[in-house]
Amino acid sequence: MTTKAPGTKTAAKPSLTALLRPYRVWIGMLVALTVLANGLNLLVPQILARAIDTYAAGDFHLPSVILQFFFAAAGIFVLTYLQSIVQTFTSERVARDLRTRLVAKISVQDYAYIQRITPAKLLTNLTSDVDAIKTFVSQAIASIVSSFFLIIGASVLLLLIDWQLALAVLIVVPIIAVTFFLVLTRVRKLFRKSQEALDWLNKVINESIIGSSLIRLLNSQASEYEKFVAANTQAKNLGLQIIKLFSALIPVIVFATNLATLIILAFGGHLVISGTVSLGDFTAFNSYLAILIFPILIIGFMSNVIAQATASYGRLLVVLEAPEAKDTGTLEAELRGDIDVRDVSVVYGDKPALKDVSFSAKAGTRTAIIGPTAAGKTQLLYAMTGLLEPASGSVEYDGKAINAYRKAALHRQIGFVFQDSSLFNLTLRENIAFSNTVGDAEIEKAIDTAELREFVESLPQKLDTIVSERGTSLSGGQKQRIMLARALALNPKILLLDDFTARVDGNTERKILANVANNYPGITLVSVTQKIAPVETYDQIVLLMEGQVLDIGTHEELMHNSPEYVQIYRSQQSTENYELSA
Amino acid sequence: MNYQLNIKDQQTRRESPLIALRRLVPLIQGEQRNIAIAVVAILLTSSSTLVAPVIIAHTVDTYISHGDYAGVLMWTGILLCVFLVGLGSSYIQTRTMGGVGRRILFNMRNAIFTKLQDLPVAFFNQNKSGDLISRINNDTDKLNQFFAQALMQFVSNGFLILGAGILLLVLNIRLGAAALLPAVVVLVITQLISPWVKRASFKSLQTLGGLSGEIQESLTNFKVIVAFNRLDYFRNKFNQANTANFTASVRAGIASNVFLPIYGLAYNFGQMIVLAYGILMISSGQLTTGLLIGFLLYVNNFYNPLRQLATVWSSLQLALAAFDRISEVLALETDMKIVPAKPTGSTAVLEFKDVSFSYPDGKQVLSHVEFALERGKTYALVGPTGGGKTTTASLMARLYDPTSGTVLLDGTDIRSYAPEARAQKIGFILQEPFLFTGTVRDNILYGNSAYRDLTDAQLEALLAEANLAGLLTRFDRGLETPVTSSGDSISLGQKQLIAFIRAVLRNPDLLILDEATANIDTVTEQLLEDILTKLPATTTKVIIAHRLNTIDNADEIFFVNAGTIIRAGSMEHAVDMLLHGKMQS
Repeated sequence: MTTKAPGTKTAAKPSLTALLRPYRVWIGMLVALTVLANGLNLLVPQILARAIDTYAAGDFHLPSVILQFFFAAAGIFVLTYLQSIVQTFTSERVARDLRTRLVAKISVQDYAYIQRITPAKLLTNLTSDVDAIKTFVSQAIASIVSSFFLIIGASVLLLLIDWQLALAVLIVVPIIAVTFFLVLTRVRKLFRKSQEALDWLNKVINESIIGSSLIRLLNSQASEYEKFVAANTQAKNLGLQIIKLFSALIPVIVFATNLATLIILAFGGHLVISGTVSLGDFTAFNSYLAILIFPILIIGFMSNVIAQATASYGRLLVVLEAPEAKDTGTLEAELRGDIDVRDVSVVYGDKPALKDVSFSAKAGTRTAIIGPTAAGKTQLLYAMTGLLEPASGSVEYDGKAINAYRKAALHRQIGFVFQDSSLFNLTLRENIAFSNTVGDAEIEKAIDTAELREFVESLPQKLDTIVSERGTSLSGGQKQRIMLARALALNPKILLLDDFTARVDGNTERKILANVANNYPGITLVSVTQKIAPVETYDQIVLLMEGQVLDIGTHEELMHNSPEYVQIYRSQQSTENYELSA
Repeated sequence: MNYQLNIKDQQTRRESPLIALRRLVPLIQGEQRNIAIAVVAILLTSSSTLVAPVIIAHTVDTYISHGDYAGVLMWTGILLCVFLVGLGSSYIQTRTMGGVGRRILFNMRNAIFTKLQDLPVAFFNQNKSGDLISRINNDTDKLNQFFAQALMQFVSNGFLILGAGILLLVLNIRLGAAALLPAVVVLVITQLISPWVKRASFKSLQTLGGLSGEIQESLTNFKVIVAFNRLDYFRNKFNQANTANFTASVRAGIASNVFLPIYGLAYNFGQMIVLAYGILMISSGQLTTGLLIGFLLYVNNFYNPLRQLATVWSSLQLALAAFDRISEVLALETDMKIVPAKPTGSTAVLEFKDVSFSYPDGKQVLSHVEFALERGKTYALVGPTGGGKTTTASLMARLYDPTSGTVLLDGTDIRSYAPEARAQKIGFILQEPFLFTGTVRDNILYGNSAYRDLTDAQLEALLAEANLAGLLTRFDRGLETPVTSSGDSISLGQKQLIAFIRAVLRNPDLLILDEATANIDTVTEQLLEDILTKLPATTTKVIIAHRLNTIDNADEIFFVNAGTIIRAGSMEHAVDMLLHGKMQS
């Protein structure tokens, strides 16, 4: 496996605008509604003022004022609610689509990628990171866009009234901009770290759940708690650092805008006293300043949301822009079942797991792979299914390289029974028919072959029984046979077994192997196993040690040639007697 | 034994919003001082905001219009001081409440995690890890946000509303009461729709938990999804959860956004009533135009903060919904309590007395089982898969409690042992080995406080003494070989080796091996057998295996099937039963 360091390609500066481009119509609507609602809000004081003026003038007509009022109020109500609906809808759509894009991206990646990025981080990506962007859309966008309009408008008005005074006031704008820039660049790093702390928490919680039995057996809850508190403390400290920055940012911005008020009062007062500016203009200036200050404050309050969204989007981009696992294969051919493994080497980190492994199996033959713990047997099966990319060498089916086949076409024809059981929180039927091409007949055949019939019949809801996550309500042997049935239900041409009988008694194992031979004639079988007895009659046995093929041959040949094989054989002799007599 | 959290469409509590608010009070235990500081700070901030326009008006009226520039400068200075106070107090307020929020988040997360550690294994069998993670990470954060951002808004706006409200009533009781009428209506409406908003928020958090559960499950089993070419399955399952979350969140958004327009409407109605009623009063000579204008300004001062409260209010509903989800976990109590010790005089290391066990779904696994294990002997449990061997072993180590009957450890009810005493006596090598992310060393010493601080050399000496050193050669970097909980850099056989070393090194009185060597090659397995035979003569061993060689030298064999445990006289007898038992069941 070649290990590409994640995120070496520094993600392009995360630009939220690019993310939001497809939603510009919605966001346009959102901004328009916000502006309209705010505009209508400004109308109410006008109605009030006019009503009082007309009353003073003596031609006051109450019903018409109430009508105006009523329409304005109803209009504001409708517009505000409409705005919040559009806002909710847009932000939720952005979140949903972003998640869908992430999952679409993840689902074309290979297995190694998921392992490298780790499920814990992907979980944060899909929940908390997406949430940050959602909050940005729902809370920040409309207010920021309308704030910018207000700032520009108010600035222009100020400049028109008195450019000198205006420039003196607008001096605070660069101060604010620099403060923003300084804080946001620092805080973005903190937000990224704090999301990483969440990844860490995810991992600790998840391990404490999967390992719950072990923890209770060893009474090691305290040490789990320590780990959790370490991660949680990290999250807390980062959170406090972020708060430290923001609790400075917002008051400083408020203060800066207040400075503008001070400038007006002192400098403007001076201009009024010296007669350059009229008192009326001075008063107008003050009120426009109020209009200018408010949006700046809004942006200040929203900076938190912006920073968090930018940091999260940066993390998401790493996933979204990761190079995809290539599926260049086009072959859809039906397999005969010939397998050629040629000089396959696999490297884990810096340690070689397989070194120049070669063997061939003709269609319809049975091959066993035997070897000590950590010999690389599982890795060999992974390489044969494309779960692992060999560092060198190739795997061929019917004389064509594995990469020439379309992955889907290949996986449809190769059944793989994993060593460890992976069950889903679904019905037994769905766990077995784990493919959309599987029909009832295939399921039934697979169940019979895996000797699961009795077990299924014993369940009150038969195949519709729900299996719990991690399959904790099933015994090890039941899980392993469900895994076998899942592989067989594909009606595969090639069946790869990874030590699948480790938890099935010898008697059942023999029955299952006989069933496979009867029900799936012509299947090419490659079986990783610890037990020699069941595979003595196989066409060939590959002896794998420390990642290398030590010997290949039939049982008789290996008994003759290979002292290591004989050692393994001897180690099983005591068992043999019982199993044969049984 | 029912620990299921998302059992049905759980409802959040129906209660008056203010009572609900009171439920959050225990969370701020120990933070009273900080909250008091924050309240003072926010009152200062609000006052500085209120005072500033007054100072400006005063400066303009008194000094600028009279050309007194010295006075202007003096009052500018005073204003600067007011602004500086505002700067300081708003910093203190944000910082303090932010800190309060973070610490509450920290404490809540710890509380849930501690609760999870208290709950028995059965709890984890019944709940999805992704959902639990979402409760610890996402739901708690909603509480944080409420405390950090919304609570002080509550205080400051409440303060402003109260002040303006009293002023309205004092200025003119009838006009004031009329002005407040829409607010009262809104209050009633708020009471009525708050439960709806909270339910919608709860549903949204619930679907987020579901989404998280789906992702966690699929990513954990990703290799199966790849090998079976079911990426479409992954996408479909995910899309379902994603769509469910989308729908629930849109509903929650629409619900929680209803406050703002309603409060806005109340504001406008308030103005309208004051205007109409005020003009009527002016006509009858009870009010002056100037007073009406002033009154309209105070109506502003009353309703503007009320509108601010609208957003705060929905954030409270979200926090309460999150708190309900958290409370669901915190309210669970383990039913595996410690009972008082009553020695029975039994000399067996372990004894089952009339033990029955069934899973929460009603499936009976053991019925009225009796047997005793003598010190220093080796026992084997054989039987068909699904026959109850692992369950029996789990009862021996109190991973579960029997539905009826007693398990005696050293003659005393196993339920009377403190967990640490029990863990000391019993070593259990689980069928599915689990490693924590770390090194081989970390995992060997996991949960072993006695040896935790040993140097590598000391540990190696210790391993050599226990005949375990040879097994370390199966790891390319020995004790320092890195391992991850998921991932395949280490084989299942190697994981079993680590579990074996970990259990043996603890030197337990009772060592249970549940298919502990199933994926280890037979040559290494012989090595393990040697190690087992060299254990102290007082160690009692219970071995579950399908490979008969591993139970070869058992002193006694028990045949476990269909809820019964029968003593098999000899290996041949056991094998015979294995065949026949299989046929009967």
